[in-house]
Amino acid sequence: MFKSMYNWIDERLDITPMWRDIADHEVPEHVNPAHHFSAFVYCFGGLTFFITVIQILSGMFLTMYYVPDIINAYYSVDYLQHQVAFGAIVRGMHHWGASLVIVMMFLHTLRVFFTGSYKAPREMNWIVGMLIFFVMLGLGFTGYLLPWDNKAYYATKVGLEIAGSVPYLGDYIKELMNGGTIVGAQTLTRFFAIHVFFLPGALLALLAGHFIMIRKQGISGPL
Amino acid sequence: MDHNKQQDTAHAPAQRKEMTRRQFLSYTLGGAGAFMAGGAILPMIRFAVDPILQKKEKGNFVKVIEESKVTSEPTEVKFKVHQVDGWYESDPKLSAWIAKGDDGKIFALSPVCKHLGCTVSWAAESPTEYHCPCHGARYTKDGKTLAVAPKSLDEYEVKLDNGWVYLGPIEPNTRA
Amino acid sequence: MAHKHDPNEKIVYVGDSRIRKRAKSNVSPPDYTAFPGKSEAFIPNFLLKEWMVGVVVLVGFLVLVIAEPAPLGYPADPLNSSFIPMPDWYFLFLYQLLKYPYASGDYIVLGILGLSGIPFIALLLAPFLDTGKERRFYRRPIASSLMLVSLAAIAYLTWVSWDHYQHELAKNGVIPEHIEREIKNEESIEKGLGRWVPGKEKIPAMVEAEDVAFTETMTQAACITCHGSELEGGVGPALRGIGDARSKEELFDAIMNGKGEGMPPFKGTLTDDQIEKVATWLSKQKAAAAE
Repeated sequence: MFKSMYNWIDERLDITPMWRDIADHEVPEHVNPAHHFSAFVYCFGGLTFFITVIQILSGMFLTMYYVPDIINAYYSVDYLQHQVAFGAIVRGMHHWGASLVIVMMFLHTLRVFFTGSYKAPREMNWIVGMLIFFVMLGLGFTGYLLPWDNKAYYATKVGLEIAGSVPYLGDYIKELMNGGTIVGAQTLTRFFAIHVFFLPGALLALLAGHFIMIRKQGISGPL
Repeated sequence: MDHNKQQDTAHAPAQRKEMTRRQFLSYTLGGAGAFMAGGAILPMIRFAVDPILQKKEKGNFVKVIEESKVTSEPTEVKFKVHQVDGWYESDPKLSAWIAKGDDGKIFALSPVCKHLGCTVSWAAESPTEYHCPCHGARYTKDGKTLAVAPKSLDEYEVKLDNGWVYLGPIEPNTRA
Repeated sequence: MAHKHDPNEKIVYVGDSRIRKRAKSNVSPPDYTAFPGKSEAFIPNFLLKEWMVGVVVLVGFLVLVIAEPAPLGYPADPLNSSFIPMPDWYFLFLYQLLKYPYASGDYIVLGILGLSGIPFIALLLAPFLDTGKERRFYRRPIASSLMLVSLAAIAYLTWVSWDHYQHELAKNGVIPEHIEREIKNEESIEKGLGRWVPGKEKIPAMVEAEDVAFTETMTQAACITCHGSELEGGVGPALRGIGDARSKEELFDAIMNGKGEGMPPFKGTLTDDQIEKVATWLSKQKAAAAE
């Protein structure tokens, strides 16, 4: 059944080479934790991606209950966490996953740095990786506001004050992110849009670039 | 353009100043692409930056305290002001520290710390200073910054009328 | 997938689909035959090993998620002056850095651009700053030591910031809201009042609203300026339903001698008889009686 379906598609699109390229490419011994235990440091990139997938999925499901409105945001979060079955787990995954993804990404960055893997010819992939890092921090910052509790509100206020102290452009950056002069209704909708559409869009594009480059250049050789 | 002519163009050295057919098409494609991108995105950009370009409303004055009750020791007053935040209108309670200065003038300080926006209070650490619990910023009674914060505390515009103190919009400190 | 041959199927062979080795390429070889040791196919051999690690991480993650509910405090209140702001932990080092005198105040430009902006840009452009061929970290002393110093600084700043926060909490006697909320919620459930959601407390209706103790005495004594004109609460707590929480004696004492910082003593302002009547009336304010 699956085989005939596969063949039907393959006859028309010739997908076998693509699939075989992904499946059959050789992975060297020095990154394989089954051969060298120390090679687990090479797993952090894959784990970052795994947690990112969890974040995207749990985030998509959270929006089924969440509303980005200053009156109702807090109560929608309260409701989905305490009244919806498994709400505590789904919100917990998104909350703790946000921290874990930063940890994993940090470890991955350190691995790449200390193994010198960012050197020629992989400079571009390092830059894309750093951009992913910044996008993730942006996701963390914007996501923190969404429950609209005091912690969220005041952390955002402080964060925006920091952005506002950038020379020359600070006030504009701050007002643009605020969506006005105060942290309020328009800040919340703005952060929601950035958190749910703009940054994930950028993230997916950067991730695609990251993976295509890895596949094209291969994993850096052993030290 | 007939076939012969095209041949000519291809063979002739680049002395003719007219652009080739390929160049013309490329430029047109680029122009059309730029128009498509710009036409689609420009309205969205203007849409997104609207808050910066909107006219700021002038705040009204709010009656807060009797003039006779203001002493040289700062006291905190809380008051309500009508605030419009997009579609959301509210009457948030604000607060101010009101005192009579050494020059005998009544002034009101905003308790929002100029460092990173926490809330300061009078005589919390030292009896003659404002103190911010976040990063330990300190201010004099006039709101002049002593430590950590880059600027002095903002002031409310003060209006006196008929024995009452009215507070208006927030402005940069004039006393420090 | 198409692994087994079926004589009735037309199978198009595309040859060895591993990426062809280009004659001139400065990109590393796509297969690792050039390197010593055992390489293996990505799917399923290698991916299985990576997914074993993934399974372990997921189990640990789910245990954390189930054991530790995501924190949720009280609804945002822009006028809460006692709240101690705290960014998420991975921003703490930056938050702490900008507290130091040479990174704040008149030096804020140095703090923002010099101490935060330049290191981030340097990290972004690392491949163009560290251009040597050597990859081992101990053969790249400058790059490695800069990174180690930054790591130590980040760890230290994060710790200082967290420590300072804990210190502030202890000094001000503040229980973080998400913890306090859980405690109140449990209390509320124990009392059989159901789940406690801050800001959604049901304030019971007023009992005997026509009583002179309320309509005259409490209005004259300006109770309503703090406790709300309908006793729904304001600067002071709501008084509707207070009878469930306080006895008549406690109420009498609170009115007579004041309570905490906010509640002034009314000894002298009101007669003992008036206070007695107000306390009696307040003690009747029970949720059950209001229904």
